[in-house]
Amino acid sequence: MNTFIAVLGILSALLFFYLLRFKASKKQTDRSNRPKWSKYIPYGDEEKKDKSDDADFSDK
Amino acid sequence: MSKHQALDTFGRSGNPIIRSSAFQETTTSGERMSLEGAVNKTGILLFLTVLSAAISWNFQGPLMSLISSIGVLTGVIAAISTFGFYFFFIGWIINPRPHLAPKAGPIYAIGMGFMIGVISQQAEALFPGIVIQAVSLTFFVAASLLFAYKTGIIRPTQNFVLILFAATLGIFLTYFFSFIFSLFTGSSFSIFTDTGWMGIGISLLVVAIAALNLVLDFDIIEQANEQGAPKYMEWFGAMALVATLIWLYIEILRLLMKLRSR
Repeated sequence: MNTFIAVLGILSALLFFYLLRFKASKKQTDRSNRPKWSKYIPYGDEEKKDKSDDADFSDK
Repeated sequence: MSKHQALDTFGRSGNPIIRSSAFQETTTSGERMSLEGAVNKTGILLFLTVLSAAISWNFQGPLMSLISSIGVLTGVIAAISTFGFYFFFIGWIINPRPHLAPKAGPIYAIGMGFMIGVISQQAEALFPGIVIQAVSLTFFVAASLLFAYKTGIIRPTQNFVLILFAATLGIFLTYFFSFIFSLFTGSSFSIFTDTGWMGIGISLLVVAIAALNLVLDFDIIEQANEQGAPKYMEWFGAMALVATLIWLYIEILRLLMKLRSR
């Protein structure tokens, strides 16, 4: 019994690391009601700060 | 003359210092995260957890209990400093600081690993074979939910996040008050230790909530990758995933212990 569970665990771990490398399906990503994580986790702030320090060379 | 025309007229700088490696550091610090990177970091953190768990498993004693307690405390501090601390009606008491994750992640993994080793060894002594069952079930649940997430069977929404967040915070507050209660009375809330159907039902509910938290971790990693988040978000995503896997493992272990002690 425990051997079966151990094999199941190893296969599951391998599948877990294998699937993690792939992008999610369009069904998952292309929808409007996804939670917006950048609202809670401030991972864009440093980029905005960097950009504001740069000169703007775009034609107006 | 527009700025663009000025650049075309006078040319870009020919200064070798500016043209050479002077900006390489900026480019490196501006690197974007990738799914591959997040997977590798998850592997590293899980390896560190297993390594420290193996040490505490093999060297049980009062010193290891002390190291384990310090490990948990350090792990909690690392987690709170990275993920922040939110409370209902008040908001963020400590803001999340994801850029700390590359340092906090390994500290968290090692600290919690010591605690897992001690708990697992004690559980294995009482119920032989239980640890392999708990580890296998943890990965089975994680792989199943990852498949359901990637294929779009489970699609988290804003309401899903709010409900799950409230449930998770509720569980942690109950654990916290149970811990405080145990400091004064010497015994924790009976709903956590009860081996009857009520206790098993509550354990199942906690396992389900812990498992659904994995979906949020997958979504954080996926979305950060889509938006080209900074490289440190690989560590942040990996740390969140490992934290949930550790929680799920402990809850599954607790559930199996209740089932086997009946």
